[in-house]
This record gives sequence, structure tokens and C-alpha cells, in this order.
Amino acid sequence: MFSIGVFNVSEIVLPGNKISEEPMRLPGTYVMGSATYASVVGIYDKEHKQFIPLEGLWQPKENDRVIGRIASRHLGSYIVDLNSPYKGIIITKFEHARLETGDIIEATVREFKELDDAMVVMLTRPKKLYGGLLLDIKPSKVLRVIGRGNTMINQITEYTKSTIIVGLNGTIWIKGGNVSLASEAVKVIEQEAHISGLTEKIKHMLEEKSGANRSQKEGV
Amino acid sequence: MQIKAVSREYLEELFNKGERVDGRGFMDYRSISITPGVIPHAEGSADVTIGNTRVLVGVKMDIGEPMPDKPNEGTLTTSAELLPLANADYEEGPPSPEAIEFARVVDRGIRAAEVIDTEALFIEKDKVWNVYVDIYVLNYDGNLFDAGTLSSVTALLTSRMPKLEGEEIIREGSLPRLKTKGIVTSCTFAKIGNSIVLDPNGNEEAFMNARLTVANDKEYIRAMQKGLSGSFTEKEIERLIDASFEKSNLLRSSIESAIKKYKGD
Amino acid sequence: MEKPKLILENGRRLDGRLPSELRPLSIKAGVLKNANGSAYLEWGNNKVLAAVYGPKEVFPKHLADPEKAIVKCRYSMAPFSSLEEHGRAGPNRRAIEISKVTKEVFENVILLDQFPSTEIDIFIEILQSDGGTRSAGITAASVALANSGIPMRDMPYAVAAGKIGNELVLDVNKIEDNYSDADVPVAMSPNLGNVLLLQMDGNLTKEEFSRLMEMVKKAGEKITAIQRQAILDFYNIKEKGKETNEEAK
Repeated sequence: MFSIGVFNVSEIVLPGNKISEEPMRLPGTYVMGSATYASVVGIYDKEHKQFIPLEGLWQPKENDRVIGRIASRHLGSYIVDLNSPYKGIIITKFEHARLETGDIIEATVREFKELDDAMVVMLTRPKKLYGGLLLDIKPSKVLRVIGRGNTMINQITEYTKSTIIVGLNGTIWIKGGNVSLASEAVKVIEQEAHISGLTEKIKHMLEEKSGANRSQKEGV
Repeated sequence: MQIKAVSREYLEELFNKGERVDGRGFMDYRSISITPGVIPHAEGSADVTIGNTRVLVGVKMDIGEPMPDKPNEGTLTTSAELLPLANADYEEGPPSPEAIEFARVVDRGIRAAEVIDTEALFIEKDKVWNVYVDIYVLNYDGNLFDAGTLSSVTALLTSRMPKLEGEEIIREGSLPRLKTKGIVTSCTFAKIGNSIVLDPNGNEEAFMNARLTVANDKEYIRAMQKGLSGSFTEKEIERLIDASFEKSNLLRSSIESAIKKYKGD
Repeated sequence: MEKPKLILENGRRLDGRLPSELRPLSIKAGVLKNANGSAYLEWGNNKVLAAVYGPKEVFPKHLADPEKAIVKCRYSMAPFSSLEEHGRAGPNRRAIEISKVTKEVFENVILLDQFPSTEIDIFIEILQSDGGTRSAGITAASVALANSGIPMRDMPYAVAAGKIGNELVLDVNKIEDNYSDADVPVAMSPNLGNVLLLQMDGNLTKEEFSRLMEMVKKAGEKITAIQRQAILDFYNIKEKGKETNEEAK
């Protein structure tokens, strides 16, 4: 879980920097000889022996909830754009969905596997999302948008009255309420994900900016 | 963070309320920044952003032959590159029809408004200055036409004029400015369903059916281009021509204050 | 034109630098909105924009490698980049060769097997050139890749080394490049100490080569620190924003 205390920006490590003299299996790192090195920009929390990537790509896992767009339909399947190196695939005979190219959907990762010499994300339980806006953020910031115990996402929803679904692939769907305030909150979180006190800061921002606009933007 | 996509429903819902996704009015530009002189090696240059669209223009001049039909004038060649780094969909390779249309439309505005004094580029028989305007798109987020025109015109208005000493071209040192006559700006409109908006961003361009670019100076329309397969009514076009003349005041003064600031340095 | 005197009596070069001195170098990360990672670099009069897209699907599909990502690299010079004439459109043979050897630098350090059947695109646009552009491009592309989150073993840097007369020099500019006795662009993997790019033409003894490599590695410490600063600044701006807010309360 994304837990980041107060740290100095000067503690950031870059790809190739050694973080430990012992071999460790941590995402965003690699082992060479018997030492561990960072492979992406991040912070090494020596105390908890955790590596927190500040940049990084989504590694699909079973049960990840994702948001994507139907890129094309074929006999028997839909191809989904997940803003990732990997395509999403929905097999129509298993999923009973009536979807069209361009539709925005929410879905769950059933399996991440190799198909025809490519890695693909098999998706299940697709649900079409009507209307709304799609945002792409860096997948490494998604957990911060959700917050520990959903604290961050809940406060955004409370002040904006928007419906927000956060995909672990870095795509976020927002509909209704104060869409532009919700987008702005997400943007600030993405930029300052590594800074402590962010939850409070976002709360203040939401309080201030929703106060003035609440009457205009309520509901859809 | 990128607004990746808008549903057509959301867009139309907003349009019906007279609003756009980014909160602008239908006839508002995004924020524009113009910075001349960013590439000192070039005779002239300008970096322009309109919202997240970013375009860089470089102007170079060489000695060459005139066009056969205009033997006493210098030449102007405008090219555009949709650099693959500007957008995930842009590919490497020779210019696409989009890139070519873009360059030619910007070129027509500059030429018709006589931004450059081409007669002043004549040296002697069969020897004139060739002016090259190269438009480099660095980041795409809609409305390349207006960014391209703003940056090309600014680059030309701040270009230095190389000196010919015998056979040698002197490009450095104290040089006069390229002689210019006119100034032109353009306004590009997108038709989405029944709504028409100025300065479409990337998300809006994904839904547009028709596009109109009007280039003008204080007095005249200098160039126009209608794009895509949708249509405009005559009345709509006349309305947009009026809007162009009105908005061009803002654009011209943006260019002028950017140049003033640059010369002050 | 007569060969100018590139090293003056006081041991300094035409622009006042000492033989192993680098021109001023600055890098800014994350400058383009659409690219997955990007960096803008200024090195002397060189102005370079580097951007990364991917990993993404491979087109055409038959080029995909089921074991790992493939890397594509485009190094290109803008037609307005030189102080001389207008350049031609499209990549020339020199640009194609540089694209290839640059690609090979990054194929070495990117953890390619984490992304089978995908491609990673690296773009290097030289907006203004003054010697040593391939080194500037590699140094910038490293930062763009770190900015993109694509995992790498190391962050390469490069520098244009050379020889002028009997003097070994670093970071050759255009005019020195035109009249030098040897041109030696080098790219290094700093944490692992490997040579990832090496080209040379002119005349050089083995001993001169060794001395040049020592100079390169020493300069590498400075270059690496500047690359690191670019990444820190990318996060710093947000940190500064926070401080101002605290003060304002």
C-alpha cells in the first residue's frame, strides 16, 4: 500500500542506483550479483525495506478493476484500449455484453496471458459506462488517488458529488457533479503523490472550490 | 494527467448549456504564449503554445534561383512536420496529406498578406534569397493551424537578414531585420453536431465534422480553408468571418507584445 | 578556409575552455504532455528534445519479438538547426547511422524482457546543433526514459571526446569537430562502468585512448549529476509549490 512519510526529494533514487547490498524481490528493482538496484525512479524506505516507485507501468493482476475503451470488434471478441502496452480482450461468448467501438467500459482482469505471441489482458464482467469523461494518469499514482482505506477518493466524491471509478490501469472515469473540480483534484494528486500532507491539502482545495460552485454544479 | 476522452453525450450535454469541457466559451482561445528567438542559429524562430498544443518554427534563408514566373522576387517555402514525438498517432515518414494541407494553408495566409517583402529579396538576375519556413509540431492538442500561423508570422517578423559578401553569406553579427510588409493571423473553428467552437482542443477535434480556418489581417480575408467531410451553411461562414476579424485583434496584439518584449532584451 | 588555431598559447580552447572542460549543460524532464516520457537539454549551443513512447503494440505485427520489447530510435536534425544553410527534409545516411547506434545504447540498459511483443520508441530531435549532438541526444534520452517509468538497468550518458593536435579534449563543438585530429563519441553505463557506444575516426594511440576514457569517466560524474538534478527538479517543483502554500497560510 502506498504509505509515504515525510521524505526529502534528495532521497530519490534513479535507475541503476544501488539500494541494498542484499538481494531483494521488490517491484521496480532488479538484482545483480548479490545487490539490489532501482530500475525506475523511486524512493527506498530503508526502515520498512520497501521500494516506492515514483514512475512505473501497470503490471496487470487478476481481479484488477480497469477502465478502457472498445477499440474494435471482431467475430467473437472485442479489443479494448487500456492505455497500456497490453490490449484488453473480451470474449463475447463468455461475457454477454453488447458493446460498440468507442464505448467506455469498466471491467475486471480475469487473466494476464500470452496469446498469439503477445501478452494480453483477458477481461471479464464488462459494464458500459454512459457519458462522462476519461482521464489518464500514471498508473504509479493510482493508489494515491484512492488513498489508504479509500480516504482520498471518498473526499473527492463527497465535495464534488461526482461518480468516479478509478481503474488500476491508470484510467479514471468521472461523471456528473463538479467534473472539472474532480479532474483538478486528480491532477494535483498525480503531481504531488509523493508529498506528505496531500490528503489535507486536497481537502482544503475541495472545500474552497466547491463552496463557490456547489449551487451551480450539483447533479447532472 | 490527460483528459483522454470525452463521451459524445457529455460533450453535447455541455454544448447545450453553452459550455465546453475545459470551461471555455464557444469563441474563447485557450491560453496562448509566443516566444520569439528560441533558436539563434536560425535566421528567425518562434515557439508558440495554444493550451497544450506546442509548435516551433525556424526560418532559414539561402541564396538560390527565383521562381520562373516571378524572376524579380525572392521565394518562400513553407513545410510542416507532424513530429512523431508530438502524438502517439503520428508516424515517421514522408509528410501525410494532413501535414501538407497544414503547411500549404499557413503558407497561403502568409503569402497573400505579403508578410515578407519578396521584392526586397532580389539580388541580381537569377539570384534571389530563398526563405524557408519550417513548422515543427512538438505536442498536438488540437488547432495546429492557428499555432502554425502565429509561430510562422512571429518568426518572420523577428528574422534577421543575412548579408552577402562576395560569395559568402554572413549570418552572424550585427544584421538588419528581414523586411516585412504585412501581418496575418488565423482563426480555426470546429463544427461538432450543430455547435461551432473556436480553437478546438484534441478531444473536440476527435468529434468535429467540419473545420474552417480563416486567415485575415486588419482589412482583408487573406486565406480560407474548409476541411473534413461535413459542411457549413453560407450564413455560418459569414458569422465565422466576422468572428475571425474580431478575434484577430487579440492575436495581432499577442504577437506584437511578444515581439516588443523580445526586442527589449 | 585556413585551419584556425584551436588551442591557444594559454592552453585554452577557442571558447575559453580547458581541454577537459564541458560546455554548460542543463536538462529539464517531463516537458511534453503527450509523450510517455520526455526531456529538453541544452549543451553549449546544442538544443535537444528527447521523447519516449511505449511500451506499445508493434506495427507491423510480424516485427514483434515474443521474448522481449523491440526498440526503435529516430535521431533527426531540424532543417533550421545549423548556423549554415537550410537542411534537407528527411533522415540522411548520417542520421540513420546515429539512430542505429543510439538504439543499441538503450537496448543494452532497458529491461526489455519485461515487455514481450511490444515496442519502445525513442525520438531525438536536434533543434539547434553545435557539435556533439549524438552525445547530447543520448544524455537527454536517458532522462526521458527515466521520466517514462520504463525500467532500466542504468542511465547512460555520452560525451563527444576528441583530440586537437596533441591535446586530448572533451565535448567537442562544431568548429573543433571540423578540424580535430580525432573524434571519439562515447556513451557509458555509469553504475556498471560499461561502454555502450564508441565511435572513432582520425588518429589516436592506445595510450591516448586510455587517457581519454579516464577524462570521460571523470566528466561522467558531472553529467550524471545533471541528469539526476533534472529528475529531482521534476519532483521539486511540486515540493516548492507545497512550501509556498505553507507560508501563505
